Amino acid sequence: MDTFLRLAASSIGRKMAVAALGLLLCGFLGGHLAGNLLLFVGQDAFNAYAHHLETFPLLEPVELGLASIILLHAAVTVYLKVTALMARPVGYAVQVSKGGRTWGSSTMIYTAVLILVFIVVHVATFKYGTRPSPSDLYGLVMGYLRDWRWAVFYALVMGGVGLHLSHGAWSACQTFGIDHPKYTPAIKAVGTAFAAAVALAFAVIPVWACFIKRGQP
Amino acid sequence: MKVTLRVWRQKGPDQPGRFESYEAEVPSTDMSFLELLDTVNEGLIARGSDAIAFDHDCREGICGMCSQVIDGQPHGPDKAAATCQLHMRKFKDGDVITAEPFRAKAFPVVKDLVVDRSALDRVMSCGGFISVNTGAAVDANAVLVPKDDAEKAMDAAACIGCGACVAACPNAAAMLFVGAKVSQFALLPQGGPERARRVLRMRSAMDAEGFGHCSNEAECEAVCPKEVKLSNIARLNREFLRAVLVSPE
Repeated sequence: MDTFLRLAASSIGRKMAVAALGLLLCGFLGGHLAGNLLLFVGQDAFNAYAHHLETFPLLEPVELGLASIILLHAAVTVYLKVTALMARPVGYAVQVSKGGRTWGSSTMIYTAVLILVFIVVHVATFKYGTRPSPSDLYGLVMGYLRDWRWAVFYALVMGGVGLHLSHGAWSACQTFGIDHPKYTPAIKAVGTAFAAAVALAFAVIPVWACFIKRGQP
Repeated sequence: MKVTLRVWRQKGPDQPGRFESYEAEVPSTDMSFLELLDTVNEGLIARGSDAIAFDHDCREGICGMCSQVIDGQPHGPDKAAATCQLHMRKFKDGDVITAEPFRAKAFPVVKDLVVDRSALDRVMSCGGFISVNTGAAVDANAVLVPKDDAEKAMDAAACIGCGACVAACPNAAAMLFVGAKVSQFALLPQGGPERARRVLRMRSAMDAEGFGHCSNEAECEAVCPKEVKLSNIARLNREFLRAVLVSPE
């Protein structure tokens, strides 16, 4: 308990909490993506997978855990952001980067807000939306993604996810002190590759649904 | 060559401040930025005005006193250089150069471009040292130190405590400074006995002084006049985790 309190009371410990929760969410993204790719296999395969998930007896506790991880990841980050704003009450008239910041790192808070808004919309439409028939999640998903506005929205948000991960994946490792001249370049490369792969693989689905599967069953 | 200096003027710690502009003739592009400020101040004093207050001491890049943000970058646009090592050849005729004090809650403005950086000293006093028994001097090579560790410790010890890392950090964090100070001792056998206590106390003091958290944006590393590496922050994180999880402290 003492160890936990010492970590929770420190800026380093709080950042480690954000990093650990972020890495868990990276794992979730991998699993979610694997499921999504079944859309390419076909309606029956995807609906069978959806049915398997929805009848999983521990679905609700898992969903609750996932929601808690997302909210905690966001809440600790907001707390840290507020302390950071308090740490510099008067800003600069001119501020120019000397090359440390990246697109990913300097937009973390914006991509985070985008992702949070997306999650609400995504759950409201795909989890609680009206399906063509009770067992046809494929029909619901493709119904939305065939509309170019939804497809563009999904593809853009996935770009945001990629940007968020391009900094977050490596940053989490650095926060835990995982750093070595021999391995850090590889860790950075794997982080960037993971970010790009996740963003591209998720974004390809709406593009495929909208432009290739348009008008097809 | 002529430039316009746009300088933050503030009479005292609790006074409101504002930018004032000064036209300055640059007699030689080989003069340093601080020498240009000296020239402007001579003119101000001759006119009976208050001179621009700015910190400086060694003027050879080793004391860390000349803390200013010039054109949006701590210590100005040069790489691996303190403000005193910034020369006017870096600018061109007609440039408007903005000089501001370091901005952080932990670095309150004293006057004009001078800030109080004693927060860093207070963090150091909590553990940035080793305890040594007095007596006869120990033989210089009695304790063996691996070459690689000695090099890393020396690189960390190059930190001059100027605070540019804090000034550049989007969160006004002092993690690179504390990381360097923790690293220079953690890497050497002499720092071993107080290793856990040091990192716990310095981390605690760092947060108490009101510095922000690290979001690994690496601006600190980019502006450091001594090129202290970000790996020192990773080492600080490791040292802290080790101290909290497994040390008896």
